[in-house]
Amino acid sequence: MDIGTAVAGLLTLAILTFLYRDNPIYKMAESLLIGVSIGYVLVITWSSTLMSLLFTPLFSDGRVWLIVPLLFGLMMFGRFHKWTSFLSRFPIGVMIGSGAGIAIPVMLEQRTLKQMTATVMPLVTESGWPDLSALVVLLGVLTTLCYFYFSREHKGTFGVAARIGTWFLMIFFGTTFGYTVMSRMSTFIGRMEFLLTDFFQLTG
Amino acid sequence: MRLETRHWIFAGLFLLIGLTLASGIRLDLPVSPDTQRMHDFIEGLPNGSVLLVSFDHEASSLPEIQPIARALLRHGFEHKLRLVGLALMAEGTAIGYRLMCETAEEFDAEYGTDYVFLGFRPQYIAAILSMGESIKATFPEDYLGRPYDSLALMRPLGDYSDVAGVLSIADGSFTTHWVEYGGRYELKVLAGVTAAMVTTYDPYLASGQMQAMVSGLRGAAEYETLINRGGEGARGMLAQTSAHLYVILLLILGNVAYFLERRRTN
Repeated sequence: MDIGTAVAGLLTLAILTFLYRDNPIYKMAESLLIGVSIGYVLVITWSSTLMSLLFTPLFSDGRVWLIVPLLFGLMMFGRFHKWTSFLSRFPIGVMIGSGAGIAIPVMLEQRTLKQMTATVMPLVTESGWPDLSALVVLLGVLTTLCYFYFSREHKGTFGVAARIGTWFLMIFFGTTFGYTVMSRMSTFIGRMEFLLTDFFQLTG
Repeated sequence: MRLETRHWIFAGLFLLIGLTLASGIRLDLPVSPDTQRMHDFIEGLPNGSVLLVSFDHEASSLPEIQPIARALLRHGFEHKLRLVGLALMAEGTAIGYRLMCETAEEFDAEYGTDYVFLGFRPQYIAAILSMGESIKATFPEDYLGRPYDSLALMRPLGDYSDVAGVLSIADGSFTTHWVEYGGRYELKVLAGVTAAMVTTYDPYLASGQMQAMVSGLRGAAEYETLINRGGEGARGMLAQTSAHLYVILLLILGNVAYFLERRRTN
């Protein structure tokens, strides 16, 4: 067994001890995971972003205009002192302004218009029969919208529609929860397979 | 050492999964239309097409993500696609590189010609948009520090119009960003995602904004069936099914106990 497998196996067991109760072995493994993750992200950000996209082109290749993002980045550190905190407002302003400018049309087009277009489907199939799937989608969208309309009391026909909307929401939450359980179970099975096959070498 | 009910439940789950994994029994799974659609899409690409593979996940989801990624990469290499790996999440970088290299070795694929790993870029939205303008400007060098133009596979690639699509291997909402921001450049988006994300991506699949999706351990097992290669997905399916039945049984027992207790108190 190589050292990597041994370390991974021991750490997996350390994390699983939490199933009994919180304990120092679990806390050690958890802290190690957080520390290694942050360290890794720092190293990868330094080497593949700051060095390759900023420092090397700026200082070695002479691309002087890169001084602008460097200065903006440094200005962010102004937040650490009350006298210089105002400096961080400039790069934050640029980020929010450009971010909103890019995101708003994209969200409108991709999340709203294209999704609405996909919702509006013919309710009758080519053979003349009602398209059950399209009817369910239409009913689901309309009743769920009724539920989230709070300017009118949920009474009478409107109340019934809102109530049907909650059923659609419950089905969605149930499906999502079911898939999440499935996902977590897959993660557990993956680790168990690693423990049994690679660490304890009990199965082939 | 005081054992509570939950400890027995965990012990039961350990035992059940351990035994089912040790049994080595493989379930014969029907292939779902979503998985079939992914297979058909990749099969439909001409040999030599370039496919971006973005590893947009954390290390914690590796047990579920790895079988999906491996099955899709195997199909890609087998179908003689040229794969360009990258990561929009830092943790996916080393995992993606390792997975690509291991799978490439199975097919004698050569680095620089058949596949390349570009590495990580932060600010995913900026990275996706920037690649739409110029892949070279976004990644002047690959993960190993080799200049872009020194890689035969990368030299002719300018922007998204030179690639067949992007396969986002994700455990979160990153694929959504590929759909939304890559959609501006008519980029075709495929997804290999954890089961927990299915309900997030289903609307994009239904609207045609996403081409195909393989999800969870079950999706991996189905894909392994389609490409006739056994793997981690197929191995875990009996355990997964047994675990689900175990959870259902516990739910029923819990409810029966609750109602009996309520009747007794009343």
